[in-house]
Amino acid sequence: MAKSKGYPEALEKKLHDQRYYREDSTPDFTKRVEDKSRTIAHMCFQCGTCTGSCPSAPRSTYRIRKFMRRAVLGLESEALNDPDLWLCTTCYSCTDRCPRDIAPTDVIMAMRNMAFTHDIIPVNFLKTVTAIYSSGHGVPNNDVNRAARERLGLTRDPPTTHMYPEYMPGIRKILDHYHLKENADRIIKEREG
Amino acid sequence: MMVEKKKTTTKKTETKKQDTKKEAPVKQEAKKQAPAPAAKTVAAPGVTTKPEDARIGVFICHCGTNIAGSMDIPAVQEYAKTLPHVAYVDNYKYMCSMPGQTVINKAIKDNKLTGVVVAACSPRLHEPTFRTATKEGGLNPFRFEMANIREQNSWVHMHDREGSTDKAKDAIRIAVAKAALLQDLFPKTVPVEKAAMVVGAGVAGMQAALDLAAAGIKTYLIESTPSIGGRMSQLDKTFPTLDCSQCILTPKMVDVGRSQNIELLTYSEVDNVEGYIGNFDVTIRKKARGVLTPTEAEARGIVGGGCNGCGDCEAVCPVIKPNVFEVGMKPRKAIYINHPQVVPLIYTIDFDSCIKCGLCVTACGPEKKAIDLESKDEFMKVKVGTAILATGYDIFPIEKKEEWGYKRFENVITSLEFERLICASGPTGGYPVRPSDGEKPKRVAFVLCAGSRDNTGIGKPYCSRFCCMYSLKHAHQIVEKMPGCIPYIFYMDIRSFGKAYEEFYYRIQDEGAKFIRGRVANILEDPKTKNLHVYADDTLLDRPVDMEVDMVVLAAAIQPAADTERTRRLFGVSCTGDGWLQEAHPKLNPCGTTTAGVFLAGVCQGPKDIPDTVASAEGAASAASIPIHKGEVELEPYFATCIEERCAGCGMCVNLCPYTALSLVEKEGRQVMQVTEAKCKGCGTCGGFCPGGAIWMNHFATPQIVAQIDAFLLGGEQ
Repeated sequence: MAKSKGYPEALEKKLHDQRYYREDSTPDFTKRVEDKSRTIAHMCFQCGTCTGSCPSAPRSTYRIRKFMRRAVLGLESEALNDPDLWLCTTCYSCTDRCPRDIAPTDVIMAMRNMAFTHDIIPVNFLKTVTAIYSSGHGVPNNDVNRAARERLGLTRDPPTTHMYPEYMPGIRKILDHYHLKENADRIIKEREG
Repeated sequence: MMVEKKKTTTKKTETKKQDTKKEAPVKQEAKKQAPAPAAKTVAAPGVTTKPEDARIGVFICHCGTNIAGSMDIPAVQEYAKTLPHVAYVDNYKYMCSMPGQTVINKAIKDNKLTGVVVAACSPRLHEPTFRTATKEGGLNPFRFEMANIREQNSWVHMHDREGSTDKAKDAIRIAVAKAALLQDLFPKTVPVEKAAMVVGAGVAGMQAALDLAAAGIKTYLIESTPSIGGRMSQLDKTFPTLDCSQCILTPKMVDVGRSQNIELLTYSEVDNVEGYIGNFDVTIRKKARGVLTPTEAEARGIVGGGCNGCGDCEAVCPVIKPNVFEVGMKPRKAIYINHPQVVPLIYTIDFDSCIKCGLCVTACGPEKKAIDLESKDEFMKVKVGTAILATGYDIFPIEKKEEWGYKRFENVITSLEFERLICASGPTGGYPVRPSDGEKPKRVAFVLCAGSRDNTGIGKPYCSRFCCMYSLKHAHQIVEKMPGCIPYIFYMDIRSFGKAYEEFYYRIQDEGAKFIRGRVANILEDPKTKNLHVYADDTLLDRPVDMEVDMVVLAAAIQPAADTERTRRLFGVSCTGDGWLQEAHPKLNPCGTTTAGVFLAGVCQGPKDIPDTVASAEGAASAASIPIHKGEVELEPYFATCIEERCAGCGMCVNLCPYTALSLVEKEGRQVMQVTEAKCKGCGTCGGFCPGGAIWMNHFATPQIVAQIDAFLLGGEQ
């Protein structure tokens, strides 16, 4: 790591020694990712079909191929701390097209799981947890939607927890079992006060 | 730009025109004289049509749109009709097709043509086709001349329709001028000696010799080292099947040793080659070996003697030298065999290091009497019909690429050294250790393209073609034999192109080899630990890498074996700029050379893995057996002929001839030059040089060439 010379932050970041050393690697990271994702991440040969297929890539800095590379090299901290990790929409296009039959989407999901154990997660994801806890929906129904449904001759609410709120306790039980709500509330409080 | 260029060209042509006009009368005189004596001296009964009686047919090929797409064919056709001697002009979509050939055939008969010009592709492609068509039309096949309006015209002037049309007119005019002067020629046949020679007894040479022998041909297999097997016998396992290299090679070595039709000459070199296809006289130098084979012993009257490979001599020899077979990593004595499975199992004395103490002679004993410390090089002459070169390769001296520290850092080794270290019969019993401290390495970096794909002039510009695959194999062997040791492969591309190769790559990656896409920039040594820091760019991560490893294996480039240059000159085979031997055609004649009767097998022609090498050897053996089985070969009648009344017997041409085809003989009380037609390649060196104009080059005779030049410069108005 280069010593700080009091440059502006952006320049400091640029001058930082970005070389990859053997010590940077967590050798069992690849294996842990594979155990969680149930896919052969180490077989990636970096063809780039995943990034090419990715609808997020042309609109953001998200490069799924680089996450696959980090998985292979065991660059745990770099992978988990990269905010781009949360830009995957889980559309599974990459998984459909990967010539080595790997599921890159599942690798991302595994990394997100591992990141969450270190409290690394954007707040909006936690707000989704809160929404599910209260309504059973990540994106709950609203009045605009209800009016649209009526115009189409549908019921105002879909046949989900909106229509059958009696199932909500079951959903909450699952979330409570994994301490998801509890952790979400804690982190949101820490960040937003 | 284009216009300017054109102008300059025209100017030049004009000046030339003037020059030629001045000289023209002299040349025409020569033209009138030359054909007459030539017709007399040409050995074959040539029929010559008087130029004024010549009736030439011109056939213009469209080659689909290859030619027709870039020029105005009707304009070219109309122009051709105006040329002197032209009696018939036609065009066709594909002149080389059967209907196209029929057009030629019919036109010759209907129009009583005396010569044929086809304006189409390169003569290298279709000259034989159109010669046959000419013959079928009832003319001598050498009454055919080709005008190349594709490779040298439409393909290179694709966007200049007017220019390419003009150029096609020029080409046809020139060809017609020559066609009017063509003579009937008759190819000669020479008998072929029913024996072949293979130079180099690596896997390519052995396979070629075995195939030739199996086809019933007596084969001399020449090997410069004391035993056969070549590079392949140094390898541990072979990709992608992981067969043990020695295990699959030994049966072939034994077969070579046993075959009745193979005369194996190890520790021998080709010293001199004379002759031509069908009749090569080869002098072989049997280097002083110092040890007699049982046969040689018997010839000296030592019954039941000769070397039996017992090794008693080696045990007592006091001289210790590095073992070349083990890439210097093991000692050997001054009297030695390369490895336990050698064929033939005969010891060899390295006379450069032998101190002639005589201990080995005593150890060998009075019965065998196998050792002769005073032995000298011996020469033997053999006659063969065809020869195959299989001279193989050497490892590029990778220390020349200083950034990787080979020979400076102890733990940087080459792949061939690693091959010996991982081999059970090698110096470490098959368990690689760090040269610096003998410890087992935990992390090994493989540097691919070490010296290959390098245009600096230090390395080699080509891909050495098998390094990717053997490095994958090495990675596999590390994972297999040394649990916990991680192979890191630094690569630019993984070229796993062969059958089951990509699957092998998949397997090795699955086994845990780490791949880093980036060429290793440099390597530094930690002077305390002797560990190595490998610097590269992980181009996939877009980050520079500093990888500390225990050992580095350089997948060094390969280059033609040291003696290739000398051998190829003896056989008159050309080579590429890199020194690899030149095949007759890279795609359609990969085993042949431009020297008739000489063929190429294996890596001497260019980098090849074992499957490709064996395939190439079988191809070469098949090609080399054809003339032998045919019993005679037809030679192109392009040889030089001496016009004796003009020859002053100066003999200057004799030394100029690159094929030793010329000699001076006594005729009617004076010296004249004589051509050995079978040796002459028709290169024209003598004909162009002869100060007296006494050499007539068949099919490329001076009047014919002058007519072509005149046609070009004077626009056909002669």
